[in-house]
Amino acid sequence: MGKNLRIKTARAAKDMTQKDLADAVGVARQTMNAIEKGDYNPSINLCIAICKVLGKTLNQLFWEDDEYENQ
Amino acid sequence: MKINNNGLDEMQKERRNSIGNQMFILMFYALLLDSGLYGAGIRWLKYPVNIMVIIMVCMCIYLIRTITSNAYLPPKVQSRKTIISLIIAIVFSVVLAIAAFNLFGNLSAQSAVEVANDNSVLILFIVSAVGLLISLIVAIIKKVNNKNDSDD
Repeated sequence: MGKNLRIKTARAAKDMTQKDLADAVGVARQTMNAIEKGDYNPSINLCIAICKVLGKTLNQLFWEDDEYENQ
Repeated sequence: MKINNNGLDEMQKERRNSIGNQMFILMFYALLLDSGLYGAGIRWLKYPVNIMVIIMVCMCIYLIRTITSNAYLPPKVQSRKTIISLIIAIVFSVVLAIAAFNLFGNLSAQSAVEVANDNSVLILFIVSAVGLLISLIVAIIKKVNNKNDSDD
């Protein structure tokens, strides 16, 4: 599994650090780092929490398809 | 939307469970090997001490691996200053040890040493002290490295 650059981009657009996002969803910063690097597959609950904080849909952040790559 | 309570997050739980399972299997086979050696007449330490050493070594490895994979402390505790609570815990442990020694007296300690009549106590002390020292060093290194591995 490759890096999830869409989370990183969405996070940067909201001007949030990994720590800010991790605190917002209630996980450790290292967990967010692992998700962005593709080292860890988050549960659906954590995915939804991340989407809600970043204001994106699950498809936009996690679905691996060209249609959502550029959104 | 916060998904977490006060405990470890999902990745930490997953890693801790994985490490715990591996260490349990390691301890099981170490004890099995030890009993086999004991039956074959090879006695590297006297009876209670060999079991204690194996358990302590497995526990130390578990502790070190949990710290290195960042699965020891929950996220909320990581963001707090833990120095004060650490100092309180150390002082409390020392006071408790002194109180226990005074309450139960020198008799039990003296008789235990006489019965053992070897370096068992020293070996157990060294194994646990080395394990805790390694854990402390790993925790410090991990804390320093955590400041640099952010991908912000």
